[in-house]
Amino acid sequence: MDFLHSILIKPFADMATAPDFLLQVLWEGTVSGTLYALIALGFVLIFKSSRIFNFAQGIMVVFAALTLVGLHENGVPALLAVPMTLAVMYVLAMSIERVVLRPLVNQPDIILFMATIGITLFLIGFGEIIFGGENKRMITEELMIPTGSFEFEPFGGFLLIEQKDVTAVVGAVILVLALLMFLNKSKMGRAIRALGDDHQAALSVGISLSTIWVLVWFIAGVVALVTGIAWGARAGVSFALEVIAYKALPVLMLGGLESVSGAIIGGLLIGILEKLFEIYWGQPLLGGNTETWFAYVFALFVLLFRPQGLFGEKIIERV
Amino acid sequence: MKKLIANVLLSATILAGLSLSAVAQDTLKLPNMSYRTGPFAATGTPHQNGQLDYMTMLNERDGGINGVKIAFDECETGYNTEKGVECYERLKSEGALVTQPWSTGITLQVLPRTNVDEIPMFGPSYGFSAMQDGKTFKWAFNAPTSYWDGASMIMTALGDGDVANLNGKKIAFLHLDHPYGKEPIPLFEKLAAEHGFTFLPIPVGLTEMQNQSAQWLQIRRERPDYVVMWGWGAMNAGAVTEAVKTRYPMDQFVSVWWGAHNPDLKLVGADGKGYRALSWNFTDSEAPVMQDIKKHVVDAGKSQIDQASGEFDSMAYQRGVLMSVILAEAVRVAQDHAGTPNINQEQLRWGLENLNMDDARLAELGVEGMMGPLKTTCANHTGNAGAWMVEWDGEKFEKVSELLSADRALIDPLVEEEAAKYAAANAPWPTNEECSM
Repeated sequence: MDFLHSILIKPFADMATAPDFLLQVLWEGTVSGTLYALIALGFVLIFKSSRIFNFAQGIMVVFAALTLVGLHENGVPALLAVPMTLAVMYVLAMSIERVVLRPLVNQPDIILFMATIGITLFLIGFGEIIFGGENKRMITEELMIPTGSFEFEPFGGFLLIEQKDVTAVVGAVILVLALLMFLNKSKMGRAIRALGDDHQAALSVGISLSTIWVLVWFIAGVVALVTGIAWGARAGVSFALEVIAYKALPVLMLGGLESVSGAIIGGLLIGILEKLFEIYWGQPLLGGNTETWFAYVFALFVLLFRPQGLFGEKIIERV
Repeated sequence: MKKLIANVLLSATILAGLSLSAVAQDTLKLPNMSYRTGPFAATGTPHQNGQLDYMTMLNERDGGINGVKIAFDECETGYNTEKGVECYERLKSEGALVTQPWSTGITLQVLPRTNVDEIPMFGPSYGFSAMQDGKTFKWAFNAPTSYWDGASMIMTALGDGDVANLNGKKIAFLHLDHPYGKEPIPLFEKLAAEHGFTFLPIPVGLTEMQNQSAQWLQIRRERPDYVVMWGWGAMNAGAVTEAVKTRYPMDQFVSVWWGAHNPDLKLVGADGKGYRALSWNFTDSEAPVMQDIKKHVVDAGKSQIDQASGEFDSMAYQRGVLMSVILAEAVRVAQDHAGTPNINQEQLRWGLENLNMDDARLAELGVEGMMGPLKTTCANHTGNAGAWMVEWDGEKFEKVSELLSADRALIDPLVEEEAAKYAAANAPWPTNEECSM
């Protein structure tokens, strides 16, 4: 009876008795979820256009953030370092297309996936040589990101919201809206979607595979930079950021590999649910650290009922 | 005929190579299992730079140790236990005199092999704390101190000199969810049971190191009197920034030595004032040993350190230097005892368990004030050097205590008990019967 009480009654009673704390948990979950969604978005964009599961997305986040901080450390003003970092990410996208992807056109998906693992290992080594392994401070103030906090007293309690977290959420929303506009309204965006729907048909109407691949890898680089700034502002920039990319995998399982909105909603859902579960069930009953597995179990549970994910397309193949 | 000549030439070349490598055995092979990439590179790199630079300095200044050059090769593990075991096998096959696993997880994996391979394993201030028991762990060494020593010193300091003063208090233990992070838990649990304080373990997973909001929400909810941290890599920086964010009182936040890491605290700067760490080393960039490293290695362009970030003056870099100081001293002791500069693994093992680095010897080595004196024996492979409490003043760490000592009456029986348990679980486990201490 006590066990059932601790699972079914106590967590909700705790939420009701300390609503300010519940709001704090929900806010922290929203911020984490937004950042998971940003990482997942990078995966989705590349998969949508090329059917490549880009294992290198995590290290691209690290590489972009380290480039930005590294340029600034070498005397480049922060606001100039941003476009310069974007230029580096464009060169990286072009190099990946020329050196890695182009020779592998028409190869099985698994070969391309393995190639992205190769890109990951290269960027880890290359990044280490150039930037070193030390944890670096993100140039938050220099980028004019506010670093203060808002304090509220809801229900007579205490709620603290960091301005850089608000900036991260707002920045992510703007980025997603811009991407959706680009994908749905622009000629190049439609070309990306066309390539994702049917490679052969897209090529037959003159869409250039190489141009689109460079473009999507560059956009993934832009997303990586935004993600790197947002995560880096929280706890510094180091190669440890790469492991956060693993949190995007259950988001993709949940949201579907091809859906931009799936990545966003999946990220938010996982961010909030894992935080609620950890605080109200995981820590009191299981000793904590449930965030490392909760998202995977939740995504697997969803896949039992929707194998294509919440927003993935159901593919019907005639044989 | 041409093929025959080619084969003969090839064989001759290989033989020449082999004989050259036999000559090259005339070096002291003291390799390191490093990690300069991956999520733990931020703390691994400066420590391993310090280790490397000291050995390079000895090669440059003295031509090695007693005239024998040091080969301080590195094998990259990425703090990954499987890769670490691969590195161990590789280094063993290359004739390593010692292995330095640089991870508690790797140490635990490799520990049973040390008896079979008869290669000393040196894990300065990390690994399984019961390795102090030299009778049971003949080939394993964790000088200058152990995690259980560290836990005891921290709790004594928090209790103002007596752990009994913590009665009724709540201590949160924020730790990496990894064998390293769990290592001091038996000691904390024993102390909590004896002295009546609440011990609250809070694990941090690998993927959560830079996103510890859930852990710090728990800290906010539980309101512990102190938070003790056993973190590594990006976890420490993540914890410090979250502590500032949640406004946890910094003077109630204490870490083991790895948390005395300047770049982590520089992330929060003045907001981190009052944060403390127990550290068995302290920085002194003017110390003779550091000046020699500067002259022979750094200024000569032979170091990999990031000078712009102040790595030379950092706690982690100088801790790495001291790790190599201890190992090099063990080599000297072994050479003196063996009567030859070209020692083998068994002789180095003898050197590691006969260290006597008292204040006078520390001064001779040029590291006076940078670490406490230590003495190892065949029965005690830790040496129990003690440690200082250091505090972040907003820009750097300051020493804020005398040299602290661990509670031997508490730890030694636990060491004996856990060593016996380990030996029983891994039976047949050979013990050092020659040790009569």
